[in-house]
Amino acid sequence: MPREKLQHAIGAIHVRFGGHALVHAARLPAARPWPTGLPAVDRLSGIGGLPRGRVSVLQGALGAGKLSLALAVLATATREHAHAVVIDRRRRRFDPWIPDRMGADLGALTVVRPPTPAVAGEAAVALARAGAGFALVLEELPEPALGPLESAAARSGSIVLVVAGGGERALAHASSLTLELELLGWEPARGRLAGPRSVLRCVKNKLAAPGAEAELVLRYPRGPRLPAAEWPREVERTPAVVVEPWPGASAAV
Amino acid sequence: MAGRVCCGLIPHLELARRPELTGAPAVVGGGDGRVLAASAEAMTAGVRPGLTLRQAEALCPAAAIVDADPVATSRLAERVAAQLYDLAPEVEVRLDGRAWLDLTGLPLPGRAIAAARRCLRAAAGVEPRLGLAAGPFAAALAAARARPGRLLQVEDVPAFLSPLPVAELDLDAEQLERLDLLGLRTLGAVAALGPRQLESQLGKAGRIAALLARGEEPLPLTPWRPLLVPGARCQLEPPVDDREALLFVARGLCGDLAGELGDKGAGARKVRVRLGGEGAPEESRESVVRHPLSSAAELFGLVSSWLREWRPAAPVTEVTVEVPELEAAGRRQLRLWMGGDGSAEEVRAALERLQDRHGVEVALAVRRALGTSPLAGQRHLLVPA
Repeated sequence: MPREKLQHAIGAIHVRFGGHALVHAARLPAARPWPTGLPAVDRLSGIGGLPRGRVSVLQGALGAGKLSLALAVLATATREHAHAVVIDRRRRRFDPWIPDRMGADLGALTVVRPPTPAVAGEAAVALARAGAGFALVLEELPEPALGPLESAAARSGSIVLVVAGGGERALAHASSLTLELELLGWEPARGRLAGPRSVLRCVKNKLAAPGAEAELVLRYPRGPRLPAAEWPREVERTPAVVVEPWPGASAAV
Repeated sequence: MAGRVCCGLIPHLELARRPELTGAPAVVGGGDGRVLAASAEAMTAGVRPGLTLRQAEALCPAAAIVDADPVATSRLAERVAAQLYDLAPEVEVRLDGRAWLDLTGLPLPGRAIAAARRCLRAAAGVEPRLGLAAGPFAAALAAARARPGRLLQVEDVPAFLSPLPVAELDLDAEQLERLDLLGLRTLGAVAALGPRQLESQLGKAGRIAALLARGEEPLPLTPWRPLLVPGARCQLEPPVDDREALLFVARGLCGDLAGELGDKGAGARKVRVRLGGEGAPEESRESVVRHPLSSAAELFGLVSSWLREWRPAAPVTEVTVEVPELEAAGRRQLRLWMGGDGSAEEVRAALERLQDRHGVEVALAVRRALGTSPLAGQRHLLVPA
């Protein structure tokens, strides 16, 4: 009898909210990765790329290189998807020159400049629902838009990457994969500033184990064009030097 | 079965839509200060439509006097008509509480009558009186003489009409007085006189009256028809003020509409949403779209963006989604590519909708300009997509 009641309740949910509303765990589709072509990002995701149909977040403090890394991903996305969209409310933040230097296909790129955060949310949801291959969101989205954005992306398989400062609880909840950049220092090259040296860390992952990290040097584009995949250069991390004071416990520096 | 038109009789819809007045003396006042409708209890006290409200109050001091709400009453009539339309292709519902179904050609007329009874009972909260005759006039008179919840079936219409008073004809007081002066006090007497003779006395109304009295039914039904423009409509009872509920309803309507558009092979060039409010004027929004919308997701994308910002003045009693302008959409087989980058057309449509709503500057394409310029703004141009 309880089983019949349960089946009845499941049937009612399916009728009211559709077949996607309640799915048996064994029938859930496997995560579908989209390889970004950036080895560090693909490795940290645990599934070999950014998850399709999910919201991913790239966060970090100011100057840590999150926008630069996101633009490198965007450059790859413009070459692999018919439509890549950048949602950029503050008008001076996105400069097409950087992805262009990384070999982006500008014909596949559309810049959406919504006048208000609410319109930004509406645009993100509408484009994810329509099946835009890749959407890069450079603005914080209003909390009411995050739920619809998740479900819209899940239905269409769109890849949504949000660049955020970190600390937005609703966005952290909606994210399936959160990568955090932490600035270690600045990389000089021939007496000039080449770019930030940062640690990329996977702080949340619904699809694989989180916690992996990599060290990157994000060189600002100069001179001839450089493929996006080669642009954020992963560097081999120097193992911590273990100092053994005497007498006493060992400590890592 | 001789008769093929069924008439259901319920109280005036102004009273029917107020179930709290059932069983009590009540008077509905029209805008002109006269009685528009009165309950059976008030009629027993002598109140008649057309009297002034002051007269009605004097005749029946216990009666509750309420103001008419033509918009809400019309809405109820529409709802009843839509339900009856599911039973028979020719139906008519009048505000005075009379509803007709033309049963001609129906395979199971008895079942349609039973369903109509249930529908009218649900709308008015009381058992309807039902009449069945060869035409609407005789059926209405039969219904008026039936007991609540029963059907009075008239086989011999002239014999049924013959003893009835001429007051049953739709004539004004002067014409009725003239008939009285001529000694014509029953429908049988009028029928015996003949249409041409009565036309010479009363004009066209006399001719019609004579034909009605003979049971020849010169006045056909004025059939109710669903929306002429493709649209989907939902009546909400009780009224809804919850946005999520409205979105849920709108999603269903968009699905229905998309199915209809799919059957026609059409896409919507113009979309209109109308919200009927309880005791408030109807509100509507519409937009011309550059890219015809054909799928439920496309329609709901536009409609939901309106509903999310909409602040209706009153709880919503009716939601209508219409597409007044259509365009052939035979070449747009978007579903073939869903899930892949073939949905590019849907993405373009979504961008165009954003531009329609928020201006062309909201979606921009990137063009190379002065690539070597040190100024960021000169290196690329952003033009409307």
